[in-house]
Amino acid sequence: MSNINIDSIKDRTFDAIVIGSGISGGWAAKELTEKGLKTLVLERGRDVKHVVDYPTTNLYPYEFEHRGEVPLSVQESAPIVNRCYAFREDAMHFFVKDDEHPYIQEKPFDWIRGYQVGGKSLLWARQTQRWSDYDFEGPARDGFAVDWPIRHKDLAPWYSYVEKFAGISGNRDGLKELPDGEFLPAYPLNAVEDYFKGVLKNKYVGRHIISARCAHLSKPNTIHIEQGRVQCQNRVLCQRGCPFGGYFSSNASTLPWAQKTGNLTLRPFSVAHSIIYDEQKGKAVGVKVVDTNTKEEIDYFAKIIFVNAAAINTNLILLNSTSNRFPNGLGNDSGLLGKYVAFHNYSARISAEYDGLKEYMTDGRNPAGGGYIPRFRNLHRQETDFIRGYAAGFSAHRAIDRDTSNLGIDLKKQLLNPKLGPWRVGSHMMAETIPKESNHVALDNDKKDAWGIPLLKIAVAYDDNDAKMKADYIEQMTEMFTTAGFTNIQANTAGQAPGLDIHEMGGVRMGNDAKTSLLNKWNQLHHCKNVFVTDGACMTSTSTQNPSLTYMAFSARAVDFAVNELKKNNL
Amino acid sequence: MKRRAAIRSLFIIAGGIAILPSCSEQAGKASIQLHNIDITDLQENLLAEITETILPKTKTPGAKDLKLHLFVLKMVDDCHNKADQDAFVKGLEGIDTQAKEMFSKEFKALSSEQRIRLLEQVASSAKESDRQRFYNITKRRTIQGYLNSQYVMKDLKQYELIPGRYNGYAKVKESTDKLS
Repeated sequence: MSNINIDSIKDRTFDAIVIGSGISGGWAAKELTEKGLKTLVLERGRDVKHVVDYPTTNLYPYEFEHRGEVPLSVQESAPIVNRCYAFREDAMHFFVKDDEHPYIQEKPFDWIRGYQVGGKSLLWARQTQRWSDYDFEGPARDGFAVDWPIRHKDLAPWYSYVEKFAGISGNRDGLKELPDGEFLPAYPLNAVEDYFKGVLKNKYVGRHIISARCAHLSKPNTIHIEQGRVQCQNRVLCQRGCPFGGYFSSNASTLPWAQKTGNLTLRPFSVAHSIIYDEQKGKAVGVKVVDTNTKEEIDYFAKIIFVNAAAINTNLILLNSTSNRFPNGLGNDSGLLGKYVAFHNYSARISAEYDGLKEYMTDGRNPAGGGYIPRFRNLHRQETDFIRGYAAGFSAHRAIDRDTSNLGIDLKKQLLNPKLGPWRVGSHMMAETIPKESNHVALDNDKKDAWGIPLLKIAVAYDDNDAKMKADYIEQMTEMFTTAGFTNIQANTAGQAPGLDIHEMGGVRMGNDAKTSLLNKWNQLHHCKNVFVTDGACMTSTSTQNPSLTYMAFSARAVDFAVNELKKNNL
Repeated sequence: MKRRAAIRSLFIIAGGIAILPSCSEQAGKASIQLHNIDITDLQENLLAEITETILPKTKTPGAKDLKLHLFVLKMVDDCHNKADQDAFVKGLEGIDTQAKEMFSKEFKALSSEQRIRLLEQVASSAKESDRQRFYNITKRRTIQGYLNSQYVMKDLKQYELIPGRYNGYAKVKESTDKLS
């Protein structure tokens, strides 16, 4: 469609374009605008303004029509997203319903998406751990994927930089496998979490439980107050959007910050169709957008482009960006675009009871969720019949037992005078999966979505290594729980499809060699230097950490590099 | 806020949530809009009496005061499958049949002791029946509606929207049964 009657080209030209406004896109926008670049942020969904667009945030449970339950008609029409733990009546408006944006599952894959300004940064679990060199060195040591082109020292200053601004609570635990950062005070472990920590310390070598590190303002600094955020109020209703800005999101933090520079243009309802490549200039010159309301195609232009559409959609956009120079997708000379996709294996959990420490309970709520067990398997050397390992969450809470056996006045009395039950403990596995060429995404040749963009086919599956690791997690946790005197141990290995972990990564991996990777050590496409990818798509391997903090650090680091290159006229 | 108040007054507040009243004041129909189940005003009243038997008014509000029967209807209508809904409607009607079988009276005419005896018999019957399925759904949803009501959550301070604190080593105080 012609652009003549829309705007002049000048009005559609910026210094930089960021595709996506989620956790990494928000960071790219903040950094670019702070460095003085006129920046267009494209968001395929609607706008969600901090506080005013959080309709459920201050509702009591009784103010929800179904007390939090998702009506059956919605559940049945959206079985994929319905499997997500956070898809509840209070936050279901922030999730993509299955039939709104279809995709093709060549193998079962639960693709959980949040199409709105802020993306999934409104909905994330807010756990934030740095990668160590045990993680970055993984592929080279254990012989899979390709070597990461960076190590912790390359990212460390950028981790510090984003941690200070986002606000990360945690302790300096002094563990080599989980580097310390710039921390606000940690949320302390409770009585039983502490007890279990002691058990591991006394009975095991190299197994630790730490206070979960999370993006909550336990004690805000000036930089957070300047963002308009205040101390986390322990509501733990984060998925509704937080009116206090108690946790980090694009909406509460990076986007308003970018807005204040006067350099930000935010365009919601704008799905990125493809990146426009100029054969003469030998670089990307802009982004073709479809307005999701009018279905009009509009081209926007810029000197540099950041692709932060969330891992799988970033793959889709690059695959759909074809030209004479790049018939198989932008920067895809290696033929590896869309391949070596991986995720985190969350398909096992375990629970138990503890009969001790009954003189204690908890009061208030812990936004960090409890404890975190960093990876201990195969850390220093290969010691099992699977490669790599898993981290785990660990938390304890005091059960409330309400006897509901009676009727009438007795029942009423029992309901209003609940008894404290035993402590209940639980853990969930967060395991590394191995990127493989066969785990891939690709464009469908025929089917297109409502905006004329090819549908994505996803073929991602578990493998034998995952199965062995899962069995080991259950075995090790059972042993540790037994050692701690926990009883009624129940393992749940019913499993879930890949994707439901919401940690899909890769497809546009980083590497030293342009023949075997798409991005260099600066998150820059080897073959199209003014395009950068700093969301989950860039990940060469997955390790075990919650990935968002690393995407933030990559984004800030890549913008710094890109703007310097721009100044040197290298882009 | 005035506009909000005006809009609110159009709704029936059931345990703290607003439910849209049925548009017509048609005789014989339930007082709230239902999409999947068909309930008469008489059945609605019967359900109200059953929920009141489960959680009666004492010094504090009971199920009818909190309109928990409307909450039960809303949840069955929106959150249960067809099999549950069918069993619920049949089982509800069956409660009156059972009242006649046991006491030769309608449920609403029974004393509170008789009502409890009847519901206990439904609950303990070895045979899984529509009545039992109805009763289990109704009891569960009545308890849920009660514990999640404005009265229990806010007035009795059983829920805090904004705790503003976390203590992982809170000392357990001796509990004293005060509320009923």
